[in-house]
Amino acid sequence: MEDTNTSAPMKLLVAILFLFLLAPVILVVPLSFSGEQILSFPPESWSLRWYAALADNPKMISAFWTSLTLGVIVTAISLAVAIPAAYVIVRMRTLGSTFLYNLFTAPLLLPTIVLGLAILIIFASVGFLGTFTGIVIGHLVITLPYALRVIATTLGNLNLACEEAASTLGGRPLTVFHRVTLPMMAPGIVAATALCFLVSFDEVVITLFLTGPRLTTLPVELFHHVESRADPLVASVSVLLILLTLAVVMIVDRTIGLSKTFVK
Amino acid sequence: MMHQTVLCGSATVSDGRDVHLRLDGLTKRYGESVAVAALDLAVPKGELVALLGPSGCGKTTTLRMVAGLIKPTNGRIVVGSNDITIMPTYRRDMGLVFQSYALFPHMSVAKNVAFGLEMRSVPKPEIERRVKEALGMVRLEALAERKPRELSGGQQQRVALARALVIRPSILLLDEPLSNLDAKLRDEMRNEIRDIQQSLGITAVFVTHDQVEALSMCDKVVVMQGGKLEQVGTPVDVYEHPASPFVASFVGRTNRLKGTAQGDGSVTIGAMKVLVPGRPGGKVEIMVRPHRMKLVEEGSVEDVAGQEVNRLAGHLKRVTFVGDLLQYSVDVGGAEIVVEAASDHGRGFRIVGTPVAVLWRVEDTMVFGRGA
Amino acid sequence: MMTITVPTAPTVSRPALGRTGTAAALLLPIALINAIGFILPVLNLLRMSFNEALAGGGVRETFTLANWTGLFGDSFYVELIINSITVSLSITIATLIVSYPIALYLHRSTGRWRTFLTVLVISPLLTSAVVRTYGWIALLADQGPIVSAIAALGIAPPRLMFNTTGVIIGLTEILMPYMILSLLAGFGRLDPRVEEAAMSLGAPPAKTFWRVILPLTLPGIALGCLLCFVLAVSSFITPKLLGGGRIFLLATEIYDQAIVTLNWPLAATLSMLVLIIFGAALAAYARVLRAIE
Repeated sequence: MEDTNTSAPMKLLVAILFLFLLAPVILVVPLSFSGEQILSFPPESWSLRWYAALADNPKMISAFWTSLTLGVIVTAISLAVAIPAAYVIVRMRTLGSTFLYNLFTAPLLLPTIVLGLAILIIFASVGFLGTFTGIVIGHLVITLPYALRVIATTLGNLNLACEEAASTLGGRPLTVFHRVTLPMMAPGIVAATALCFLVSFDEVVITLFLTGPRLTTLPVELFHHVESRADPLVASVSVLLILLTLAVVMIVDRTIGLSKTFVK
Repeated sequence: MMHQTVLCGSATVSDGRDVHLRLDGLTKRYGESVAVAALDLAVPKGELVALLGPSGCGKTTTLRMVAGLIKPTNGRIVVGSNDITIMPTYRRDMGLVFQSYALFPHMSVAKNVAFGLEMRSVPKPEIERRVKEALGMVRLEALAERKPRELSGGQQQRVALARALVIRPSILLLDEPLSNLDAKLRDEMRNEIRDIQQSLGITAVFVTHDQVEALSMCDKVVVMQGGKLEQVGTPVDVYEHPASPFVASFVGRTNRLKGTAQGDGSVTIGAMKVLVPGRPGGKVEIMVRPHRMKLVEEGSVEDVAGQEVNRLAGHLKRVTFVGDLLQYSVDVGGAEIVVEAASDHGRGFRIVGTPVAVLWRVEDTMVFGRGA
Repeated sequence: MMTITVPTAPTVSRPALGRTGTAAALLLPIALINAIGFILPVLNLLRMSFNEALAGGGVRETFTLANWTGLFGDSFYVELIINSITVSLSITIATLIVSYPIALYLHRSTGRWRTFLTVLVISPLLTSAVVRTYGWIALLADQGPIVSAIAALGIAPPRLMFNTTGVIIGLTEILMPYMILSLLAGFGRLDPRVEEAAMSLGAPPAKTFWRVILPLTLPGIALGCLLCFVLAVSSFITPKLLGGGRIFLLATEIYDQAIVTLNWPLAATLSMLVLIIFGAALAAYARVLRAIE
């Protein structure tokens, strides 16, 4: 419902500000159908040539596959590492859980430019630069805190009594975990999955420090492309990226929408 | 160890029934604070026992220790002839009904009820049969495929009960199971739980802070305060012969007056004097239940069936109409006494300030000594 | 309410040592990644800021304050630092001004409309900063729609790109979602009934805003400003692309020193300086918050 307290000029102002906020994202859509050789808006002619150019650009395509593989692997490792860690921190509460939680989420407080440089210097000495392993670890440093935070919050909000009920009904600890705890955590796990994937897939700054001439991710490739040329190619890639993000968000909405029904 | 450690099979309580659950010096400390202090309790087979007390009295902690969800600091828990103090929860074979119901939100009603049977590797056809039977017992067969969130509070409560009973637990534990229901439903569920418990002949422990629940449903009431037992007895015992001022005031309403006993069967309260049963001495507190008192016009000559009565004169301070009752507040020498009378179409004393007298039988006076 | 949380597992029968062992084993992977990807690199970075840079990208292990003293002795870096801070402050203020009306409007709306608007606010966050900066390049270009529109009004067309103006415009938009969400978080105390009460007491809308709404939303404003300032100081993608290599800020300089000039000790020193500015911003925030309370 729209509220009635707001005057018409205020509404107009809000609309203009929303336009400002969304302009660059909306703009890439018409831009990607440009028929021009260089970046200009509005384009004088329309075409699909930049989508065709994208299909013919092996560098972009290989960077896309690198990013996709990276995103999947980083997400899988993040979940596998963060779920048990969150469980220990939230439930066992023995070893200074608050300290550990703060320590493990601290990388989010550091600017990525600083973190990227710090990792660069260490990884240079062990030969991790320009390697897939190096980038995976670099991404884990920032996806793990997100995963831990989301999963720990979900776990903390679970009704402990359900697990107690399961154990009074004869469920052994591991059975209780996989029959009751894990299914009840489903919404948090879905959210963490999406978040980790999107963070890894979109990461530029840290990755810029870690990629090499033969191995690069899509955002890094886009960055270098924008830095050196001004043509509508990036617009066509952006549209595809926005569609991918939209797909991920919709999957999450579906799943969490469904699993929200679990929670009373 | 102070308490007796009579153990095993032959243990019986006074009325000769077998003890099913025994707590021996059960203690739970959290650092400095004591949640439950050396609790001794014997629950006979087939009885429904209430743990009654205000919040923080240790009743829930006690129940959770029995279920194995909290580790006792000291003492033992014995079921039949087995010491289960250190047995893990999942092997205890107790059905626990939670205050929040704790239904598994991701499972259907039938799956919720089947969970305990699956844990016991009961064959599938038998699971189906027993789930049906358990849901029949709580009249929810029709809702078997629903998810918990699609049920009303009362229905969720009955699923929780069915889930706890379907495993045929040795003991049924109920943790404030009715506190989330509205008043009317609470009355209904009270009877239902009692009926099911009686027909199955199952031993049950019922935690509540509601004295009406404890008195109306249970064979025995255990009143607790500050982690300690105040009194164990039948509902009538606890109500009519409270062992302490705490029990008297927690179980049922009561008027409390402080005075000095003269050792001759009388107690002086300021300028007033009342008669009490027995011949206590020293500083005392006397208590009288409001419904045991009667309000009469001052100066009227009225006998209470030839019994010894106390009579205090005062002024009517306030009249409260509560439907089936009229509550009178009477100012008696500076103290306020509440008298309850059946409301006869709302008729009764009405005018505030009326000089009145409060009457009650001497034998209805409860006397408790007060420490110095 | 139970005040103690008890682990689900029947801890009763398990020895304490076994539990601690299990817990440690489950925490090991995250601790390992935290150690090699965060603790170790950051400590090493601090150490690096006291090493000596050799020509051609070499580093000599030593302990010198030369990087630090050099930084404050060189007018280029002094200007860079001052420039970074003033640009970040400008961005913060601009972001606050354009975000506040949206946040206030969002706070007052309800139901599906509010959900929809919230999604609109969050959606740019899910889009890569590279993509959004690219959109601004198209908008702010010399022949772009904005410059053309201004020229059409008969005003001398300004340059909006490859200069500080462009960086401020772009980063303001990039940081808006953070500001709006922070403001909303701080608006919790702003009950619409308070506004109604003020108006019923005879306060006209402007007075209501200055005397009631603004004071109540100060904590949210402080939080949003802290967050945006910190993000602006450390932002790299937008200044690099919209500045076209002509705008020198702390973050872009760190990257250039690390990747182009290969002067790691200097890059490390600049990084530590960013962290010091973070600390100062946080301290200022704490003071402001105390003053508000």
